[in-house]
Amino acid sequence: MIVLQDIGKCYTSANGPLQALEKVTLSVADGEFVSIIGPSGCGKSTLIKIVGDILEPSHGSVTVNGFSSRQARLKGMFSYVFQNPVLLPWRRVIDNLKLPLEILHRPGRPLADLLDMVGLRGSERLYPRELSGGMQQRVALARALSFDPAVLLLDEPFGAVDELTRNTLNEELLRVWRETRVTVLLITHSIAEAIHLADRVVLLSKRPAIVKQVYDVPFPRPRDKALKESPPFQEMVRCLREELD
Amino acid sequence: MLAGRAGLRPILAPAITLVALLLLWEAADRVFHFNVILLPSPSEIAVAAYENFGRLLKETGITMFESVMGFLLGSGAAFLLAIVFVHSRLTQEAVYPYAVALKSTPLIAIAPLLVLWFGNGVLSKIVMSALVAFFPVLVNAVNGLTAVDPEALDLMKSLSASRFQVLLKIRIPNAAGYIFAALKIASSLAVVGAVIGEFTGASVGVGHLINTSSYYLDIPLMFAAIGMISLGGILFFATTALVERRVVFWSATV
Ligand SMILES: Nc1ncnc2c1ncn2[C@@H]1O[C@H](COP(=O)(O)OP(=O)(O)OP(=O)(O)O)[C@@H](O)[C@H]1O
Ligand SMILES: [Mg+2]
Repeated sequence: MIVLQDIGKCYTSANGPLQALEKVTLSVADGEFVSIIGPSGCGKSTLIKIVGDILEPSHGSVTVNGFSSRQARLKGMFSYVFQNPVLLPWRRVIDNLKLPLEILHRPGRPLADLLDMVGLRGSERLYPRELSGGMQQRVALARALSFDPAVLLLDEPFGAVDELTRNTLNEELLRVWRETRVTVLLITHSIAEAIHLADRVVLLSKRPAIVKQVYDVPFPRPRDKALKESPPFQEMVRCLREELD
Repeated sequence: MLAGRAGLRPILAPAITLVALLLLWEAADRVFHFNVILLPSPSEIAVAAYENFGRLLKETGITMFESVMGFLLGSGAAFLLAIVFVHSRLTQEAVYPYAVALKSTPLIAIAPLLVLWFGNGVLSKIVMSALVAFFPVLVNAVNGLTAVDPEALDLMKSLSASRFQVLLKIRIPNAAGYIFAALKIASSLAVVGAVIGEFTGASVGVGHLINTSSYYLDIPLMFAAIGMISLGGILFFATTALVERRVVFWSATV
């Protein structure tokens, strides 16, 4: 269980103080998949960084299964995927996957399983520059899963790949989530993606952000691509879009 | 076959230019009979090089030894200091501006002082070489160690990586490209530093040989010495570039 209590964040910028988050309160159950959407610049990245203790909140607190987020980070419970894959160009795919394990000194998942999980078997000896953008993002996802994290923090992970690749990566993410039961927080700009993947969708207000609305996603799992074409799904997308604007 | 010819071209083309220039020079000399004290012909230089080959080799060897030692010492020290800077803000703020300023100061001007302090043996030349190699490497190493993708740092932080792990796994590989760019400059500067040191006061080395041959008006030998040390400098640079391509293999700019 992740509990965010009254999270606020004030940056000091060139134009003086800038309130990014006002008061964000939210809890996420173990193994839950939660999508976060909100207007551009409302503080989504800030929020997810605070959850993972990359940033300190100005006020409020985060607990993960009773631990502070600092303790949870030190235990290696969090794993990130950013919009950019952030692979190390001097490491082969396989060595990029090992990076978290080297740092955390954990055995982690068998690397062969990981490669299979994201469909990269056969590419392990390649260097990042030899991969397409979609493949690079797959490596980033596999790296994030390599050490069996408890919480997956995804900050627009598929924002930079094309529509088709994005759909495949969505399917893969769902499959991985089903297999690992990792808790997922996903930031996305795509309302359809947010609904399609998540148990709940959290809508943030514009800056300074508060939780404006939380939607339960009623569609049963497993969900397939066809769901996105169905009228109730599209109705929900429309409803969220209106709220977002 | 085609690939092989294309592979040789970068070496063949300039070699042909060189041979053509030498032939032109030689032909001009036959026609105009330049004064040997001002401009000896290539064949005269070749004869001088042949007759003094052992000596040329020895003096060039000494100068190259000074250059390489100075280069290693200077760039090694620069690398270590850069690492200190990156981990201690205060040290960097206190010292770095001077390093940047000294980077473009003609350190050559202190050569006489170094000879005074370290004697007219090999040591003063090594120190001179090290000094001129030091600053460009320092500045580039600091840039490379600092200019790290902030998201990579976030990634490392999310894994609770130690500063040492960040240094080893992110900063140093990231800096490698920057450092080698500086090392290539430093390799040339190091040779300049050593020769200037020898000009200032020495009993051995190419600089000394050039000085004495100028004194005795043995200009063909002087040219031969210049040719040898420029060859040494080119080899030094090429070796550095070769190592760069091996080490920074992932960089597209190499
Ligand atoms: N380090 C910082 N210093 C000052 N201001 C910052 C900093 N980081 C972010 N901000 C500001 O805080 C606000 C929220 O930024 P954040 O990146 O969290 O938004 P976001 O919702 O992720 O935006 P996007 O949808 O574009 O990714 C923005 O107005 C941004 O300019
Ligand atoms: Mg963002």
